[in-house]
Amino acid sequence: MTVALRRRMFQYGVVVPFAIVLAFPFAWMAVTSLKPEGQVYEQSKTWTFSPTLENYGYLLHHTGYMRWIRNSCLVGLAVVLITLAIALPAGYALARLAGRVGRSLGVGIFLTYLVPPTLLFLPLSRVVSELHLGDRLWSLILVYPSFTVPFAIWLLMGFFKSIPQELEDAALIDGCSRLGALVRIVFPISAPGILTVVIFTFSLVVNEFVYAITFITSSANRTLTVGVPTDLIRGDLYNWPGIMAAILIPSIPMALVYNAFLNRFITGFTGGAFR
Amino acid sequence: MAAVAVPGGRRRRLRYATERRGVLAALLISPAVLFIGLLVGAPLVLAVYLSFTDATAGSLTGPWIGFENFRHELRDPIFVDAIWHTFLFTAISQAVVIVCAGLLAHALVHAFPGRWILRFFILLPWAAPIALTAIGFLWFYDTQASIFTWFLVKLHLVSATNHPTWLGTPTAAMSSIITVQAWRTIPFATVIFLAGIASIPQEVDDAAAIDGATGLRKFWHVSLPLQLPIALVAILFGIVFTATDMVVPYILTAGGPFNSTQVLTTWAFQTGINSGNVGEGAAIALFMLPLLAFVTIAMLFFARRAEVT
Amino acid sequence: MTDTRDEPAPALLSRREFLKKAGAGAAALGVAGATAPFSFAGPLRYKGRWLSGSLTALTWVHFVPSYDQWLDPWAKAWGEKNDVQVTIEHINNALLDTRAAAEVAAQSGHDLFFNLHPMAVYEDQVINHSSIIKEVEAKVGKYLPIAQQSTYNPRTKKYFAVSDSYVPDPVVWRHDLWNAVGESPATWDHVKAAAPKLKAMGHPIGIGQSQEIDSNMALIAFMMCFGSFIQNENNKPTLLTKNTIDAVKFMAEIARTGETNDIFSWNGNAAANNNYLYAGTASLIFNAISATRTPESGAAGGQYADDLWIWPIPAGPHGRIGLEHLMGCWSIWKFAKNRPAAERFLADLCIAGKDATIQSQLYNFPTFANAMPFKEIRKVAAADKHKPLGKYTILTTIAEKYTHNIGYPGTTNAAIDEIFQKYLIPQMFAQVSQGKLSAEDSVRHTNTAIKDIYAKWRKRNMLA
Repeated sequence: MTVALRRRMFQYGVVVPFAIVLAFPFAWMAVTSLKPEGQVYEQSKTWTFSPTLENYGYLLHHTGYMRWIRNSCLVGLAVVLITLAIALPAGYALARLAGRVGRSLGVGIFLTYLVPPTLLFLPLSRVVSELHLGDRLWSLILVYPSFTVPFAIWLLMGFFKSIPQELEDAALIDGCSRLGALVRIVFPISAPGILTVVIFTFSLVVNEFVYAITFITSSANRTLTVGVPTDLIRGDLYNWPGIMAAILIPSIPMALVYNAFLNRFITGFTGGAFR
Repeated sequence: MAAVAVPGGRRRRLRYATERRGVLAALLISPAVLFIGLLVGAPLVLAVYLSFTDATAGSLTGPWIGFENFRHELRDPIFVDAIWHTFLFTAISQAVVIVCAGLLAHALVHAFPGRWILRFFILLPWAAPIALTAIGFLWFYDTQASIFTWFLVKLHLVSATNHPTWLGTPTAAMSSIITVQAWRTIPFATVIFLAGIASIPQEVDDAAAIDGATGLRKFWHVSLPLQLPIALVAILFGIVFTATDMVVPYILTAGGPFNSTQVLTTWAFQTGINSGNVGEGAAIALFMLPLLAFVTIAMLFFARRAEVT
Repeated sequence: MTDTRDEPAPALLSRREFLKKAGAGAAALGVAGATAPFSFAGPLRYKGRWLSGSLTALTWVHFVPSYDQWLDPWAKAWGEKNDVQVTIEHINNALLDTRAAAEVAAQSGHDLFFNLHPMAVYEDQVINHSSIIKEVEAKVGKYLPIAQQSTYNPRTKKYFAVSDSYVPDPVVWRHDLWNAVGESPATWDHVKAAAPKLKAMGHPIGIGQSQEIDSNMALIAFMMCFGSFIQNENNKPTLLTKNTIDAVKFMAEIARTGETNDIFSWNGNAAANNNYLYAGTASLIFNAISATRTPESGAAGGQYADDLWIWPIPAGPHGRIGLEHLMGCWSIWKFAKNRPAAERFLADLCIAGKDATIQSQLYNFPTFANAMPFKEIRKVAAADKHKPLGKYTILTTIAEKYTHNIGYPGTTNAAIDEIFQKYLIPQMFAQVSQGKLSAEDSVRHTNTAIKDIYAKWRKRNMLA
């Protein structure tokens, strides 16, 4: 057997089963979402049923679903911007300028991850209410960076460290100020790193549940993760097909986006200048 | 220190100041430090304070009782079990993740026909919001309509009346939440591992090929050591995220059946929020902190040591 | 939806946008099949002027949708009459406790907070509701003992909530299935005898032993039929008795022979046992009449609607003693922004108890003696057209004779609340039913935990 054939066997042999196992729940979600609500419990109709788009229609027209998605996107975008604004300079400073102190500070920042949100949400509720942000998306926009910024700083620290010092030194010798070098040389090269941060931050935001459910009460302001459990579970009836549809609708585009940028992530993680 | 002394003006002096490493660094870091200090540090200090008080019912102050909360928790069998469950949940799910992600990353590193679509499938569990997919898993594990049960019944491995209840016994429930946690973390870890593999410079590959190191030997002696720093960071993130996250156990089992899948985060929530014992809840949630901090520092230390450049 | 606004003020535009976009004209009226939980925003102008006050309330998504379809317009009309803009928020019942904690921590939130169990733990955060109760008593008769025992703390002499309704807890069972095995759930012995036969037919019993509210209620009521009580009339814990051990053993026997492991998996989901019934699997569940109303409405389990019978809790050696299925309790936070309006609203809501009962299809029972006397309720029940005819009349019997507060014969207090929230009773039963512990050990462990909890709250001066 040639090396190439062996490698192919390894690749397909590993990737295909994993792809099936990881994606099968989504396939089943899709099937369920196409069933009329009354038929989801019938085993005889597992695969043979008359597919319908009524659940998607219900989701889009009779619930605040589009609004929740809009809210999640708004919050996600705002948090990404805030995170970048705070983490980019901090990451650069820790990677380049702060030496030993910087490394310890980096570890310190990472240690904030060890604090579970279950603990923090009571004091944070007080903060949110003192600032009169209760039930407004701003409360989430304020609070989410608290867990996205440390992660972003970490990513960017690693990324900046891998950019060769020579590039900046060259700029400095040419008379550029430090800040100028940062803005004009480093940031453009960091595009993959920034992209990585954007995607990871967005995914952290969209996954968050505990704060969203406590700070936001009214239906209009709900984000995706809150709207689905509260509005698609009507009393004693779980609208399973609707819930399945609600999960699929954002997941597929996000997975497509992640996939499209996967190669750039990878260079983002490792510093781009090499591979 | 490329500052050039140019005569005249406050403006120039300001520019001079920002040329100095220390000042610039402080300037750039301060927003982050301020933000994290206010939104994480301050509540953390408050939480530590609360764990030494008998605060109840959502209030943020209470009478001081010293270590009584901690002593009380250690006497409570549910709490002690929760520590064990947290360890099981984290260790097993992350072990599975590391093995699977490692394999996947190696398989995905080189292009092959169909890689794009297969990668899409693999990324789905991470792209989908976990709070929603956890609810989705409630449906997959539903007592009446679980697709897994239906499969098993179809294959005549179980009877329709005596089917497994995926969330109904301690072992089954624990396995289920571990499965879901591993399921959703594998794509994330795979991506990080891919980054690690990709960071191995081409020269190393070439050198290894010249020296005749291929396959498993190459993996063990060349790839693994070079990937170690990033792999360790990935493992560390996985452990920390899993140990501090409550979404999967909370939605799937609410800590049940009979508190057999309570992990520290869900038990802290149950005790501190839903039962109104805020001080106790804080103590439970803080319990992990020293251990996790130790694990973190240890792994970061090893990661730095392992850096081969 | 009639919108009487002439020119929209900028702050209101987004709400209007929402009303248009989400098709929530239905939400505003609370009718026309909008079964999704919603935020009800009353009109802001009435008769050409702006409503001056504002009142916010949080409540659950009722398991009988027709109640919410009555409540929201009622609140809107009330708001217009009292010059207050009323906003009622409906959320999933599982989230109420978390939201309460967040509001207290934030010291800001809704003026009126509803929960399905009395929030004894938050006694210090709410006002004393005695004036409201007095006012309502003047109109619609005495506050019933069950409500009194649920919302009053004899130590602090404070009413920490007003219950506007309670829900009797019958067993709902499939008459066709039980007939086929020649049995009926008249006593727990009957149930134990029938259980294996029913399970063999593929229709096991469905009394939960999970970490959710229905299991809590069912098992605590079951214990009482065996003479086992968590506390006595002086609010002192009395769990460790032979009766408790017998009860646990008995239920374990039913579980072993007549139930499947499904009953342990309904954690965090109060509606799971309902769905067990709607899917046709369960032969008996312990639930309020939402379990029959939903099939009747055709939403789920419609084909079984006519075979679902409603009986009181089966009798045990100690008699027939039941709990309420849910105790609807409203509390007004001390930090409420509009306390006078909240008090008024709550009083009027209790006074409208008869409407609430009828509109909830007899799910909610009023907590004031004359709001809708049992005779009247029975008349309405007798007129119910669903088969078998007259099946709902048993509800008044259950309410009159077999329904007590959690913590009977004592009062509902913070210790009971915590035991409830930590699901210690389902744990006590489930450990034995799954064979993990012997009944004696399980009861002993739970007793230790319970005594601990009582000591804790006593030290905090909240227990008599």
